[in-house]
Amino acid sequence: MNVVVCVKQIPDPATPGEMDSQTNTLKRDGKLIMDDSDSYGVEMGLQLAEQAGGGEVTLVSMAQDGETSGLRTALAMGAAKAILVSDPALKGSDALSTAKALSKAISRANPDLILMATESTDGYTGTTPVQVAELLGLPSVTFAKKITVDGSSIKVERQTEAGYDEVTCPLPAVVTVTAGVVEPRYPNFKGIMDAKKKPVEELTVSDLGLDVSEVGSSGSRQEVFEIVAADARQAGEKVVDEGEAHQKVIEFFEQLKLI
Amino acid sequence: MFEWSEEQLMIKEAVAKFVESEIQPKRDELEHGDLPPYDVIRTLARTFGIDALGRESFKRRIEREKKKEDVAGESEGDPFLGSPKEGGDGGAAAMTLIPIIELSKVCPGIVTAMGVSVGLAAGTIMSKGTIAQKERWGLDLLTFDKIGAWAITEPNSGSDALGGMNSTAKRDGDEYILNGNKTFITNGPYADTIVFYAKLDDGSGTNPRNRKVLTFILDKGMEGLVQSKPFRKMGLHSSPTGELFLSDVRVGKDRLLGETEDETGGTGRDSAKDNFVTERAGVAAMSLGVIEECLRLSVEYAKSRLLWEKPIGDFQLIQLKLAKMEVARLNVQNLVFRHIEMQKAGRRLTLAEASAMKLYSAQAASEVAMEAVQLFGGNGYMSEYRVEQLARDAKVFQIYAGTDEIQVTHIARDLLKE
Ligand SMILES: Cc1cc2nc3c(=O)[nH]c(=O)nc-3n(C[C@H](O)[C@H](O)[C@H](O)COP(=O)(O)OP(=O)(O)OC[C@H]3O[C@@H](n4cnc5c(N)ncnc54)[C@H](O)[C@@H]3O)c2cc1C
Repeated sequence: MNVVVCVKQIPDPATPGEMDSQTNTLKRDGKLIMDDSDSYGVEMGLQLAEQAGGGEVTLVSMAQDGETSGLRTALAMGAAKAILVSDPALKGSDALSTAKALSKAISRANPDLILMATESTDGYTGTTPVQVAELLGLPSVTFAKKITVDGSSIKVERQTEAGYDEVTCPLPAVVTVTAGVVEPRYPNFKGIMDAKKKPVEELTVSDLGLDVSEVGSSGSRQEVFEIVAADARQAGEKVVDEGEAHQKVIEFFEQLKLI
Repeated sequence: MFEWSEEQLMIKEAVAKFVESEIQPKRDELEHGDLPPYDVIRTLARTFGIDALGRESFKRRIEREKKKEDVAGESEGDPFLGSPKEGGDGGAAAMTLIPIIELSKVCPGIVTAMGVSVGLAAGTIMSKGTIAQKERWGLDLLTFDKIGAWAITEPNSGSDALGGMNSTAKRDGDEYILNGNKTFITNGPYADTIVFYAKLDDGSGTNPRNRKVLTFILDKGMEGLVQSKPFRKMGLHSSPTGELFLSDVRVGKDRLLGETEDETGGTGRDSAKDNFVTERAGVAAMSLGVIEECLRLSVEYAKSRLLWEKPIGDFQLIQLKLAKMEVARLNVQNLVFRHIEMQKAGRRLTLAEASAMKLYSAQAASEVAMEAVQLFGGNGYMSEYRVEQLARDAKVFQIYAGTDEIQVTHIARDLLKE
């Protein structure tokens, strides 16, 4: 069972992000970390490879300046190797451009299964995984909370608002993993020490057989015209109880359609 | 080195995350609920593979010893990871000290309980024991399957532990009969394995002060051995401290460390002194953890606490406190870095250097934590704000592993020697 897990390396969400006024996108220079929402896919991939009793997890990531610090975290957790796509020509890529680069990189690893997060924590478009599947000509299942491998197909419990659907799908396939459905392991000390020695193959756009006009800002069909700061959160309403407060609470719940 | 490497930062972050999600929520129970720390310690060891690393390095070491290769001093400063050259780019010392620093930010007691078990109890057995003793007792301690205690202090001899020791070992045929009381023994109430120091009473007229110190390995539940309940104490609540009472505990030679009374073998004076450097470096790392955490909390508080409509960080007297904390942080960090560098180079701190490091770090941690309490005002005195716990915990750094005063005497002895 060879699993590819796509891992996005993003600016640490704990430190306030800065926007690039030229491109209206997030500034991504400086140290990047593994997107927390990808840690669930990494964990799921490791578990599936372990359960299958063979095979390994390969990471695929696209980041600028050959950035690998976020990948090291996933390598320390137990992934065997990584493919990093890094090329100045990728600057300004939208979701589709990104999907083009990722899908080319993924196919080099020849995986049985591709896991991705439902959406990234810095971009939140949530569209890349299905675009990757389409470009690879593979089926995709989104919002997985459980994956069971059964020979050459998988059974996926797909989270819905009401509960979950059971989906069966042939392999290879692209599956997005919902955050919080598995407990990502801590990298252990040996894993951390070994992470530096694990292979990270760095590829450019031309290595992938893509033309620079297909990716980056030139290949992107999306343009961000304007960004505005979100409204500051309004202070809540204070209700002083003079015997009538319960009525106010009921009205509030009714307004939210909770009762 | 002037900063942690990328790999070391990963270890730091991983342990910090563990502390945040596994230890913080249990802090109250560990502090005030008499929750022994051993389950947390075992989870920590399993999570980070410390147990597996211990098992591996044990295996390698025993194999080499069986081939009679020279492994002397290889585990120096690091009883569970093997030689100083192993363990990534910071050497094994960094791999040991980084978790100590991170854990001490929240729970110095866990570090004490863990350090005494693996560093002192296992460390002593692994450096002076026979192969059979290492296999019988050492391995289980390195993996935290068992918890160890290291018992030297007595009610009438603390700083003067080796000279003033009253515990005795009397020969009786091939066996020894042990008697005596030990006090302030970390893990004493719960330990499975106890490294016990006693004076050889061979019936001769030798002045008791000059008699040989022998080391024995005891098991919980042996006849004549009583382990007390934990003491109530000022701080370090998460590290159980207690007394041991031995009356006519009969042991074979298999429990005599090194199975010899010989000076070059397992004699107690050497084995106790060997632990000084390890222990003192550990206290410096604990101090760094306390200082970093107090400084971080103090800076946050100085920015957010408003008085006279401005943050208290605007007041120069508060700034002075922060500045002194930063000075302490830099100094202690430099001492810790220096120790790591020396270990990596295969060099060892002299007793004076180790003592100077411990003296300065312990005082700095205690002072910084007390100043943090002051900076927080009334909140500082409340346990919710955490600095009062760190202040109570840090005080012990000046007492155990040799008091401040004893560190002074060790430094002076080295400086003044002819
Ligand atoms: C929480 C805790 C855990 C401990 N864990 C262990 C353990 O696991 N194993 C173990 O064996 N011990 C342990 N100890 C004991 C510890 O090592 C001793 O408390 C310490 O060595 C001091 O000894 P003492 O308490 O007898 O003080 P004393 O030696 O009686 O000292 C009293 C005072 O006299 C000062 N003094 C002593 N000699 C001199 C001198 N020559 N010149 C000037 N001043 C001097 C001391 O500095 C101190 O201020 C622990 C202690 C504590 C508090």
